Amino acid sequence: MEPTRDTHYTLVDLLDRVLDKGIVVYADIIVSVAGIPLIGVNLRAALAGMETMLSYGVMQEWDQKVRAETTGIGKQRELPLPVRLS
Amino acid sequence: MQPDDQTQVAPMDETFTTGQARYLYCVADSGEQVSLGPIGIDGSKVYTIPYRDICAVVHECPAEPYNSTDPEVVNSWVLAHQKVVDEAWERWGTVLPLGFDTIVMDKDGGGAEENVRNWLQNDYDNLKTKMEKVRGKAEYGVQIFWEPQVIAQSLIKTSPEISQLEEQIKSQSKGIAYLYKQKLENALKRDLESKADQCFRDFYQRIRRYVDSIVVEKTKQGDENTQMIMNLSCLLPRDKSAELGEELENINSIDGFSVRFTGPWPPYSFVGT
Repeated sequence: MEPTRDTHYTLVDLLDRVLDKGIVVYADIIVSVAGIPLIGVNLRAALAGMETMLSYGVMQEWDQKVRAETTGIGKQRELPLPVRLS
Repeated sequence: MQPDDQTQVAPMDETFTTGQARYLYCVADSGEQVSLGPIGIDGSKVYTIPYRDICAVVHECPAEPYNSTDPEVVNSWVLAHQKVVDEAWERWGTVLPLGFDTIVMDKDGGGAEENVRNWLQNDYDNLKTKMEKVRGKAEYGVQIFWEPQVIAQSLIKTSPEISQLEEQIKSQSKGIAYLYKQKLENALKRDLESKADQCFRDFYQRIRRYVDSIVVEKTKQGDENTQMIMNLSCLLPRDKSAELGEELENINSIDGFSVRFTGPWPPYSFVGT
């Protein structure tokens, strides 16, 4: 299967990344509102129509639990993996 | 804070005193000082501010955040932001993307441009470390869905407890059957969660063989009949994406499961602190 960037298909994926991620600049030279850096938080509100898509699924507790557990694993994975199939 | 309708138009024309601030798109792996043309948000002219062998990709703007209540406008900004990051990525090979609305202002005597350069200077080591981490790599989104109905059917077939409860519902009076039905629902919910757990672990192990780093994201609602059970951002060398794709195809072909594979994206999820 091939990865896709078709915008119809991936807009939410892209919004998640551009609005919530990327380098964060911790400096007082950054424009902020009420002291809060603008990391897409305000703009999220504009996307109210997408809220249902962006909200949690029904297995909310399960999701939180699994992510909490996996964060440990995820941290380790931040190191380059030694596993590489040659 | 400005009212929305004022900030969202904010054309970069003579009515505005430009040059007060710089909107940041990304930091790129090049010391080149160059103009990329009017490819930015609302047609802004994009150019680079170099420091040593890296540069910030920016445009001039007022010292106000882009803000709008119109989703169409927000979408178009986000796409424009992404387009500039893509352009820089294509041109210089390695970029560290910034999140939307990161704007450096004119402050402490230095102009905005000088502040950008100072930031590159002060954060240089950190930025270079991140640059090395993502060099030659791209980010891919992997979202795995299942159809709870299909999975539940297979659980009913394989779980003795559940099939027994099903029998009991059929053979009891209405009132008692209702109680059994509740029992059945609870048992099914429990089994679905444990099945999801097991799938998560299995898929995670399979996927991680092909990737350098994984960030586990929140799952989201699927459509009517599907449920997302896994949402990952994966960092891997671009030329390894075919191998990951093959593994995902295996998962995609399991009855009741489907996979969404997106990318390549600039490494948004792997450059934060």
